[in-house]
Amino acid sequence: MGISIKESDVGNLLALEGTIDIGCAAELKAVLLRALGSGGEIRVMLGEVAYMDVTAAQLLWAAELQARRSGVVFQISGPLPELVSTLLTEAGFPSLAASLSVE
Amino acid sequence: MRGARVTIAGNADEFKQSFREEAREILVDLESALLELNENRGDQELVGRVFRALHTIKGSGSMFGFEDLATFTHNLENAFDEVRNGRLQVGSELIDLTLSALDQIRAMLEEREGAAEGEACAEILAKVRKLTGVAEHRPAASKVPKTLAASVGGRARQWIIHFAPGPDLLLNGANPLLLFAELRELGGLSVKASMEMIPPLAELDPERCYVSWEMVLATTAGREAIRDVFIFVEDSCQLAIEPASGSEVEDGQSRDAVARGLEESRAPSGGRRTYDKPDNASSIRVPAAKLDQFVDLVGELVTVQARLAELSTRRDDPEIAEVSEEIERLTSALRENSMNIRMTPIRGTFEKFRRLVHDLARDLGKDVELTMDGADTELDKTVIDQLGDPLMHLIRNSMDHGIGSPEVRIARGKRPTATVHLSARHSGASVLIGVSDDGNGIDSEAVRERAIERGLISVDAQLSEAETFALIFQPGFSTAKQVTDVSGRGVGMDVVRQRVESLRGTIDVASKPGSGTSVTLRLPLTLAIIDGLLVSVADACFVLPLASTLECIELTSADIERASGKHVANVRGTIVPYIRLREHFNVHGKRPELEQIMVVETGEGPFGFVVDQVLGDCQTVIKSLGRVYRHVQAVSGATILGDGRVALILDPERLVQDALRTQSQNQAARASPRGIRNGGVAVPNATLH
Repeated sequence: MGISIKESDVGNLLALEGTIDIGCAAELKAVLLRALGSGGEIRVMLGEVAYMDVTAAQLLWAAELQARRSGVVFQISGPLPELVSTLLTEAGFPSLAASLSVE
Repeated sequence: MRGARVTIAGNADEFKQSFREEAREILVDLESALLELNENRGDQELVGRVFRALHTIKGSGSMFGFEDLATFTHNLENAFDEVRNGRLQVGSELIDLTLSALDQIRAMLEEREGAAEGEACAEILAKVRKLTGVAEHRPAASKVPKTLAASVGGRARQWIIHFAPGPDLLLNGANPLLLFAELRELGGLSVKASMEMIPPLAELDPERCYVSWEMVLATTAGREAIRDVFIFVEDSCQLAIEPASGSEVEDGQSRDAVARGLEESRAPSGGRRTYDKPDNASSIRVPAAKLDQFVDLVGELVTVQARLAELSTRRDDPEIAEVSEEIERLTSALRENSMNIRMTPIRGTFEKFRRLVHDLARDLGKDVELTMDGADTELDKTVIDQLGDPLMHLIRNSMDHGIGSPEVRIARGKRPTATVHLSARHSGASVLIGVSDDGNGIDSEAVRERAIERGLISVDAQLSEAETFALIFQPGFSTAKQVTDVSGRGVGMDVVRQRVESLRGTIDVASKPGSGTSVTLRLPLTLAIIDGLLVSVADACFVLPLASTLECIELTSADIERASGKHVANVRGTIVPYIRLREHFNVHGKRPELEQIMVVETGEGPFGFVVDQVLGDCQTVIKSLGRVYRHVQAVSGATILGDGRVALILDPERLVQDALRTQSQNQAARASPRGIRNGGVAVPNATLH
């Protein structure tokens, strides 16, 4: 389980991996806030995520909404694992899955 | 380019532990329900109670990663669903099978090695499947609709489900995704999350749930089966399950079954789920260790408050005195509150014995019912925790030796079903726990003969009935002609005695031949803090429990002379023997002219303890003396006084028995054959010299 954030001149690259659940929700929020605070575009990599729960979905949704309102690009970079996509759909978050459009 | 990596710690273990604790409570309730169902086999409410308990264990087990347990329980749940739907009758086989399964579930909860794969597990499942005629069903792995568990027949209909979990749903370890997976077992499900309540990111509490869901479920299952999916979270969420408009009851669907489901949903909470907490918001689950720590801290506070009171007295400063009195008042209230928090009803312990009585009755070929009263009586959790073993031995002994077979009972003019009765009630600062039966009673002559045989008493020993009965608690004592799996080795009653003594309690036995036996355990309500009387002998301080202290009288040189030097005092015409603590504990120093006798109520009647001075009452935090002094019988602990000195807390009962034993041994040494040679049973009307 882990979250890493890499900042560059063009923006932030957030790489999430393993299980992203309530156990790391506070960390994820802090990382997202920091990324949004930087003002640069945000790319989230979910390719290594094995599982995602409601807390993660809520945070990504709130971050995506805030980014959109601020005119900041917020995108999923790389493939969305099938399991995560299924989880989001089965939990009734298809719009979230769609809004996190894959680059 | 900069990078940072965060390691995330999960709290799965905490949730697992929480589930274990909850599941153990449910299992106790489930066991009681099963045994009640055994007595009332047509009681649909009990069937529902068993079903829902199994369902909860299955659902929450799956949620917390106990997949094997969930699968195992699911098969049992199916069996009781068959019962619920009238397709299977409750019989001894189903009850015994389910009871065995509960043992297996307990093993799985402890994650004992091989518990899930063991032969016992497979055997139980095979028998369940044979009984129900249903093939094994794995809830998590299956993608097909759960027609067996939930169907009431007929074609599917649509249900609209609104599910708005409470904010702490995720914190409590529940996972909505697993609920949805379970709903999908019932039929086709479409889910739509509502994100409107999610606040801006900065204001969002990352561990709270802000999402609610609208679902449409197409299923043959009834409303109750759908509701059962949410059974574990229902108390902390808004849940509405309504048929979609135009969705009528389909052909072939049992209207009775639907009506029953609706009826159950309207049933009062007691009938619906007895193990549910009445109000989650008003009660919380706290680990016992945290509670112990809290009481320890209150104990330390009591000690510090005593120091402050001491300091205030010495300084003679009104301002300090005022603060000290205020702190004393608050400390006293805090102490009382902390003690109340530890008070737990004894019901849980009593209920566990339903199973023991059921199993023993079956094994011994006897017909026994367990009755109880006062199960809501509260006592300290520490005391309750240690009561299980003594009660178990008393019940086993009663059922093996006290109660006869139905044939014997009928021959003696009794009803074939015997009764073992458990009772509890408060009596001052003590609680009285009773175990009684309507069996054969104790054969006091057989007890006496056996005691003589074992050399516990002399042939011509004159013992009262109570003293004779007390012999059954001696180590290795048994009148049983043969040792059985249940009892007869003479170990159980000794365990009872030891445990009760370690709890600073006493045992009283009453028995009437042919009518039965009643054993009463008198135990202190709490083991942590007591109200005591502080006394001194030379520089040494002792604490006597206030609850057992009757009065304080003066002992003058003239009184001693009048008694011809014997250790007895005349208290308003009653001769009261006494022990001089100075001599008993070998305290050096000159005796004062005027001594004090603290008269204390003991099992041997009023007994006096002679001290130099009575210093006053005190709230006493009992500290263990530690392993080195664990064999010191007459001292139940120690406490730290306000001035930092240590005072021993005396156990008057043991002190008297100790003194009487010493006296008895001295008498025996003087070649008298009378009296008891060993074992500490009191000699009546003893006078100490």
